Amino acid sequence: MSQEKLNFIVVDDSKLDCFIAEKIIQNTGRCASVSTFQQANDALIYLRTMAANDIPTIIFVDIQMPVMNGFEFVESFETLPADRRSNFYIYMLSSSINENDIARVKGYSSVKQFLNKPLTSSTINHVLEQF
Amino acid sequence: MNGKDKIKVLYIDDEQNNLISFKAAFRFDYNIFVAINTTEAINHLKANPDISVILSDQKMPDKTGVEFFEEIRKEFPNPIRILITGYADIESVINAINRGHVYRYIKKPWSEDDIRSSIDQGYKFYVTTAMLAVKNEELQKAYNELDKFAYSATHDMRGPILSVLGIIDLAKHTDNLADVKEMMGMMENAMLKLDNYIQNLHDYYSIRRGEVEIADINFDDIVKDLSDIYEVTSKMNNVKFVKNVQQAETFRSDEVSIKIILNNLLSNAFKYQVKNNENKFVELDVNVAKGIANIVVKDNGIGIPENSINQIFNMFYRGNSEEVGSGFGLYNVKDALGKLNGKIDVVSSADGTTFSIAIPNK
Repeated sequence: MSQEKLNFIVVDDSKLDCFIAEKIIQNTGRCASVSTFQQANDALIYLRTMAANDIPTIIFVDIQMPVMNGFEFVESFETLPADRRSNFYIYMLSSSINENDIARVKGYSSVKQFLNKPLTSSTINHVLEQF
Repeated sequence: MNGKDKIKVLYIDDEQNNLISFKAAFRFDYNIFVAINTTEAINHLKANPDISVILSDQKMPDKTGVEFFEEIRKEFPNPIRILITGYADIESVINAINRGHVYRYIKKPWSEDDIRSSIDQGYKFYVTTAMLAVKNEELQKAYNELDKFAYSATHDMRGPILSVLGIIDLAKHTDNLADVKEMMGMMENAMLKLDNYIQNLHDYYSIRRGEVEIADINFDDIVKDLSDIYEVTSKMNNVKFVKNVQQAETFRSDEVSIKIILNNLLSNAFKYQVKNNENKFVELDVNVAKGIANIVVKDNGIGIPENSINQIFNMFYRGNSEEVGSGFGLYNVKDALGKLNGKIDVVSSADGTTFSIAIPNK
């Protein structure tokens, strides 16, 4: 298993869940950087303007958010130029047990996986094994 | 019965004499429209969408009564269709009845009693069908709300629980007591949020299912209660709370509904303030005059974006990323106002939001 450091982006309207994710990510020991956003739109602006980076970036995005939800975020992400999108890995998180949501996640090619909330150290370690 | 309450009946026949005698026979009992051909008949139907019974002669030069009924069925599905025929055209009549184009047929020469009983029974059928359509619509609405509710409940009720589970997982791996204490505070917030959601839910069902209890309303008392509730918030967040009550007459309404309305509007007004503003205020004006309570809740907060102002009264709509909203509040306000026959208007800009409410005395 590689121990390469990774960048992380967390998009969740709940301040609390952003905090939890941030702490858990920091505890993994694999964190090069972590940025949290309570508004999906702010995260998109960040993605559009951030400097190119060789390190893979993992994005955790909540599905149910007001104003711009997780699906809308992914759809906007998929319209970014290909070179901007490479090396980004999106994981969608939700407290929803709605099967439509879970099925819908599978329809997005840029989404790696659907994860149930809460994000725990074991969930995240499982994700990190793939990097 | 005056002309307005009479059943509206349309009669089509290509013989002018029949039209005249029909109208003469029934004009006191029904509101009669007559047409000499199908074009004229369609014009009547377009101009009078509340025509509930149509009687048509079968044998007409441009088309048969059955053909006419078949043709208008799509555009005017509601009126009851009755065929009058003196013609030995029984095959096509049976056919039409079986295919549902015709409610019943009357043989020529008709008797007044035949016509009268057909119209009255047809009208009953019309009313029942119309009521069924209304009930179906209500039922569909209730189903849609239930769907939305089930979806939101999993998110809004599970959300805080899952957050707390997340923090517990985190706290297990933390040795620093100060960090653990900070996490305790966060768990507290998550639980408060859940509690708030459940209280909103309770409001929702008390408005939905609860009976309206009409009693004398003393707005001074209500506003006093509200001041007590918001005193702490007002001080803590440095928001000035201005209250004016003018009530010189008795006002009767449902106190629970009024409290739900005011509570939700005030809680929003205090919640959506501009953080760094030095002169934050919330203003509550109540003015009871001429049997109407006019209530204004005004703030100089962040305002509602123009593109979401039409959606704010929808269930579970949240126009802001603040994590405190449940998407229930303004929906409950609208629902409660509906029960009191009240009205609400909202004006909002970047300088703040003003909700104006008018509730009639019961």
